[in-house]
Amino acid sequence: MLRMFGARLLDAVPTVLLVLTLVFIALRLLPGDPALVVLGDYATQEQLVLFRAQMGLDQPLWWQWFAFIRDMVTLDFGESMISRQPVGALIAENLPYTIELTLAATGIGLILGIPMGVLAAVHRNRWPDRGARVFSLVGYAVPDFYLGALLLIVFALNLGWFPINGGGVAFWDRMYHVALPAITLAMVKTAFIGRLTRAALLETLSRDYVRTARAKGGREPRVIARHALRNALLPITTGLGLSLLATLSGSVAIELIFNRPGIGEVLISAIAKRDYPVIQGGVVVFAFFVVAINLIIDLAYILIDPRLRVQA
Amino acid sequence: MVTTRRGFIARASALPLGFGAMREAHAQTPPITIALAARSPTGLNPQQTALTGGDAWAIRQIFDTLVKPEDGTFAVRPEDFRPSLAESWESSPDARTWTYRLRRGVLFHKGFGEMNSDDVAFTFARHLDRTIVTNQKALYSNLASVEAPDRYTVRFQLHRPDPLFNGSMVSTLSANILCRRAFEERGQGFNMDPIGTGPYQVDSVSPTQGVLLSAFAQHFAGVATSPVIRVAFIADTTARTLAFASGQVDMIEGVRQPGWIPTMRGRAPQTIFDATAPGSFNTLHLNLTRAPLNDLRVRQAIRLAINNEQIAAAFPGLSVAMPGIIAPQFAGSVRPQDLPEALRYAPDVRRARALLAEAGHGGGLTIPCFTSQREDYASIMLMIQEQLRAVGITLAMRIIDHATMHAENRRDRNSMTLYSSSYPPVPTQPFLQQLLSSAAVKADGTGGENYSHYGIAIPGIDALIERAQDEPDFERRIALIQDIEQQVLRDLPLLGIVTLSYVIARNPRIDLGFTVRSGYAYWPLNRARRV
Repeated sequence: MLRMFGARLLDAVPTVLLVLTLVFIALRLLPGDPALVVLGDYATQEQLVLFRAQMGLDQPLWWQWFAFIRDMVTLDFGESMISRQPVGALIAENLPYTIELTLAATGIGLILGIPMGVLAAVHRNRWPDRGARVFSLVGYAVPDFYLGALLLIVFALNLGWFPINGGGVAFWDRMYHVALPAITLAMVKTAFIGRLTRAALLETLSRDYVRTARAKGGREPRVIARHALRNALLPITTGLGLSLLATLSGSVAIELIFNRPGIGEVLISAIAKRDYPVIQGGVVVFAFFVVAINLIIDLAYILIDPRLRVQA
Repeated sequence: MVTTRRGFIARASALPLGFGAMREAHAQTPPITIALAARSPTGLNPQQTALTGGDAWAIRQIFDTLVKPEDGTFAVRPEDFRPSLAESWESSPDARTWTYRLRRGVLFHKGFGEMNSDDVAFTFARHLDRTIVTNQKALYSNLASVEAPDRYTVRFQLHRPDPLFNGSMVSTLSANILCRRAFEERGQGFNMDPIGTGPYQVDSVSPTQGVLLSAFAQHFAGVATSPVIRVAFIADTTARTLAFASGQVDMIEGVRQPGWIPTMRGRAPQTIFDATAPGSFNTLHLNLTRAPLNDLRVRQAIRLAINNEQIAAAFPGLSVAMPGIIAPQFAGSVRPQDLPEALRYAPDVRRARALLAEAGHGGGLTIPCFTSQREDYASIMLMIQEQLRAVGITLAMRIIDHATMHAENRRDRNSMTLYSSSYPPVPTQPFLQQLLSSAAVKADGTGGENYSHYGIAIPGIDALIERAQDEPDFERRIALIQDIEQQVLRDLPLLGIVTLSYVIARNPRIDLGFTVRSGYAYWPLNRARRV
């Protein structure tokens, strides 16, 4: 298993390098001069030249690329061109809020989605199944930024049950602040996990080993949980991993609406201001998460399916 | 610790109680809070670049300048300035030497001692140092030297006369006086934990809470009315509006687009809108190096087709039509009634069409251009596009990302460039920046912001502006500026469109202690209180 782990990590190196290079090229192709953004209307030409020199923007592109890769390899993300804060600190300050939101939304999605999918599969084409399908359709159809605004107006503004915005400070405060954004994101997650569970479970329920388990007199809940659902977990795990990545990188609309700190919002703002070091640092973090979550999924496969454990 | 089933249930059932406790904590009387349209604080050092409007609000509370205008106004004439850190000042007859006597006993925050002339000289010397990148550097290009002859005297020497020196350099955001010792001790840390002499000192800065400021008990003008002020950062308009509607924040930065104030009024009729005037100057550059804009008749047709009053009316309470390049609220501006008939350019579709026909464009013409997606730019340019359509001019307009627009403009790729900028009440500034030949835009990006190429493509105002800059008498300088305005109206390289105010929506429970009439896009909150 350790060898597999190491091999996967080695596989990730060229992927991350490629991603970094693509981001580097894309940023340089993007029109917009960071010096103009940073220095504004009252900059002298001399100041613009000085700023570009200080930031290394006057160097040849190949040199900038080498410097960039060298810094990334040594985990030196540099400092923001805008605020002059270390990028590492900026990421460390904001990333926990994104992770917390992602985990909370995924947790709610799992708690609601798996039972919903099981109910739908077990009661195929009956009202629980139809209800789940309608819920899934609504979950997919309503954009999260719209749902977020709606929930904010009803539950925060009118009923006052939740805070209007912010990320919170201490533990309970943060839980209180993350609740409504997490519920918003969980809507689509529940729909996704529910559909995934239903489809996977329908397939395993028709397998011979399930029929055998029933023929042996196993109680239906036990047959579903131990024999059908466990075997349905592989596609659910894959879907869950993809969903986690999508939320990590795609929760920016929710972060904006709920005015939460978060890495997505930091990145969008950095792109608008052409803050190269922050964009590059943020992309490295996302690349790291892609690699890490894929590794976790692989490990989860081994835990779920004993056959893979033998192969590993 | 082992988690038992009972323990888990007990903790889970306590969860709502935890939420309740938090709600209760949030229900306590909060500080006076203003929420600005930015993601998070960039920094609180007035000389730092890339500061947002939110940062400027906090800086205004933390620092003081040598002189200041009356609260809620712009000082547009030399006699309008009031003492602040300086208790008196005088200028030489040629308006090139300015001497300030500092107030004694002014203390910096957090035990950093008394402010003196060394701190003032340090602050301005940083702007003079060409090897340091500082905010608004171009504003200080006329500064030759600064010296501190004694502990409470500061003397500035200028390259050229400036009868409005207090407005052009001494009372701007980047002229707030830094504490030299704190700056040198804290280095980069000064950006987020600065030391000033202002009515509030920094308690904390965080991405979630914004900037928390507490009243500085030893402020020379007395203790601020509200003990705590919070400058919050909410980038999204919906989130900001909801925070205001819920009462969580007391003031929010408005949105400069048609319909925002009426919508807010519909939602909360008691809301007070504090708007600065003039706010930003919105001007339209016509690129004189490109046909058909190199033809004066086409430019006159465009001037006659654009109805500034109509555009201003789309931003009720926030906008005023600009007859010339200087905003009507500033000294040096021209009034239509004072202009010769030929330079008034009252909107006239028929005459515009006739001029186009005379120029050989009777069948209409198409002008390619681009503008920013930012709401104020896009709104104004879309209205201009409609007005020009009425006379047969089609603007083939692309709306692009804001940073891209600036970069593309700087490479001389635009034919009609809408330019939005806020200026200090210094009448030479817009001309120096937007119309001087030495500021002409260049295709390699090394030029300035004269996007029309005025002074290069056709003779410009260089000689007139030189004369104005050498004039030490304020009234005579203003007369020269008005001559320049008329020259620009004759040549039409640049059209004044509208001013657009910066607006803050305020809950009526907050009394500022003064009325906002004009000024920069931030004002003091030391007299603000709940009523």
